[in-house]
Amino acid sequence: MLGAMRGTGARGGAARRLLSTLGVLTVAAIAVFGGDPVGVRDKLLGSVLPSPRPVAVSAFQPVNSGARAERTVLRSQPWWQQVARFSSGERASTLAFGIAADTIQWRARWSCAGGRLVGRLAGRKAPLIAASCPDSGVALATSSGRMRLLLSAGGAWRLAVDQQVDVPLVEPPPAALSAPGTRIVAAGALQRIDQFAAGRVSVYRLASGRYVMRFADFYVTPNVDLEIRLSPLRSPRSTRQYLGAPSAYVAPLDITAGSLNFQLPPNVDPTAYHSVVIWCPLITSAYAEAPLSPLR
Amino acid sequence: MSASGSASTSSAADARAPRTGCRIPIVWPDRRDPRLRLSAVIIALQILGQVGLGFKVSIAQILVSIGVAAAIDGAITWRRERVLAWPASALLTGNSVAFILRASGTRHGDWWSLHGVQYFILAVILSLASKHLIRIRGRHVFNPSNVGLLWTLLVIGPARVFPQYLWWGPLETPLILALIVILAGAGWVLGSVRRVTTALCFLAAFWALVGAFAAAGQSFIAIWHSGPVSGLAYWKDICLSPEIFVFVFFMMSDPRTAPSKRGEQLAYGAGTAALAAILLLPQPTEFGVKVAILASLTVTTALRRLAGAFSWHAELGAPGRGADRSPWSRGTDGSALLHRALLALREPAILAALLITIAAPTDTIALRGDRQIIYIERGLTGTRNPQ
Repeated sequence: MLGAMRGTGARGGAARRLLSTLGVLTVAAIAVFGGDPVGVRDKLLGSVLPSPRPVAVSAFQPVNSGARAERTVLRSQPWWQQVARFSSGERASTLAFGIAADTIQWRARWSCAGGRLVGRLAGRKAPLIAASCPDSGVALATSSGRMRLLLSAGGAWRLAVDQQVDVPLVEPPPAALSAPGTRIVAAGALQRIDQFAAGRVSVYRLASGRYVMRFADFYVTPNVDLEIRLSPLRSPRSTRQYLGAPSAYVAPLDITAGSLNFQLPPNVDPTAYHSVVIWCPLITSAYAEAPLSPLR
Repeated sequence: MSASGSASTSSAADARAPRTGCRIPIVWPDRRDPRLRLSAVIIALQILGQVGLGFKVSIAQILVSIGVAAAIDGAITWRRERVLAWPASALLTGNSVAFILRASGTRHGDWWSLHGVQYFILAVILSLASKHLIRIRGRHVFNPSNVGLLWTLLVIGPARVFPQYLWWGPLETPLILALIVILAGAGWVLGSVRRVTTALCFLAAFWALVGAFAAAGQSFIAIWHSGPVSGLAYWKDICLSPEIFVFVFFMMSDPRTAPSKRGEQLAYGAGTAALAAILLLPQPTEFGVKVAILASLTVTTALRRLAGAFSWHAELGAPGRGADRSPWSRGTDGSALLHRALLALREPAILAALLITIAAPTDTIALRGDRQIIYIERGLTGTRNPQ
């Protein structure tokens, strides 16, 4: 007992002193560890935060190509980023492309018109693609780095390579948003309904009369198959309330973090609605909403 | 929470009946023991939490906490006194740990989940270790569950554990029932332990200080709230949280660690409130706010005991530790008194208590820069709700 180290004999006293010293040292260690100095607790026990990674600056530009991209610990629902597109009528080709190191997986979507299509990654025995044409399909792989796909074909073929990443996509505002005649017609801040969300939503009317919606610095709890919808309600506070009024589909929300631009369908007039809702049809849940305030 | 104490001390004398043969003396609980009342209140709240308030704690986690606490305390009591005593205090400690501690990832309604049960066991062990090992002049220094919870939260960290939310839900039937249980329980328990002044003093000072912070624009973020909690909501969500009432009425009022004299109760209540307010002021997260409140009690309970221990040593010297042989320890001037007081640090329990007293606020303040908590509370960690 730390509070009563009075041994009856010399041996007992020494043992008690040793135990007491160990006890005090344990308290000191706990006291220091609890302060998480230089992140030692997280290093030993682990952190829920992933390591910072550069954001993607384009859905059509590989993640690592943007040397000056900001770094973030935020992660999106995994999404497919375009890496390369190939098409040829030649019988044999060597296709070269790069897959980012942090890619979850990559895919080759192919189609061919005739003969036989065989694709083999350099250094691999098993073919990635082997098909009798006409046919189409998707081949998946998880390796990363510089890839060489040796392709032999009996006829015309097409091949699209995409990599699946989970970093946020930070798209710049398209040039049309700063063109003369474009104006912001409504804006609002995202807030949670069933799940967490943050960021700002702005609706632009282009000079052409079309509408564009921009999500800036946005994040929503990731899930697959999310949708952006417009609701006539001012600020639905529950899934039930949201379902009480008919809403309009705007676009799929494959990426759940970053800054994104969406062109509205031509038949949707956002000025007739009062809020943007992130909807998950998979689990019938209104994730978040942004009440739209008209701007003149 | 409150009314902690050695399981058998209050009634061990009753057990010292003449032993006959191999009969093992058993000490049963006293019906008037306030710890039984408090246990009844906490159990009622646990039931409400399970059926109506969505507490993210499983029945298995609660039972393991209580069982481990009872087993440890029962074993210690048996070793010391050779009696089987009803471990009222340990049961309360285990129940209190399970009432406040949450293991991240536990889902409400998953009643038999043992997910993260090791953190509950750790909290119980730390609680009982503080109670049985850190004793000054025969009395424990800290409220056991308070110190166990605080260090589990600080050492294990926000990625794995968190305290029960300040916000228990909308003001509907389950919450109204919980508030009735808390307030009625407070009247039932505080009256018997005579710590009403402590509780009222804390609440008055705490409400005023947090109100001033709210008026000055202070805010915190919480996973259950979109955007920062500020203004009136800042005051309301902290000061009127059932969690605060449970802390004040049932943890702070522990007669083993809270003073009994009226004047001391005033100072103790107001001092704890002031310290809680100072520690929570820089906290940007709900996690930090709750740890700050727990840390304030750790510090004030320890300061009370340490002040007594240091003044005792200053006046009488450290018997048997060579104080009288030191030339500086003789006399009654300031340096001699200080020297004798510092000799108290040669007592391991005093040194350990002092380390905890210094580290509790230091480590709590360090939480304000913890990026991980901020991401968790903002819901930015990817899983639907990491807590």
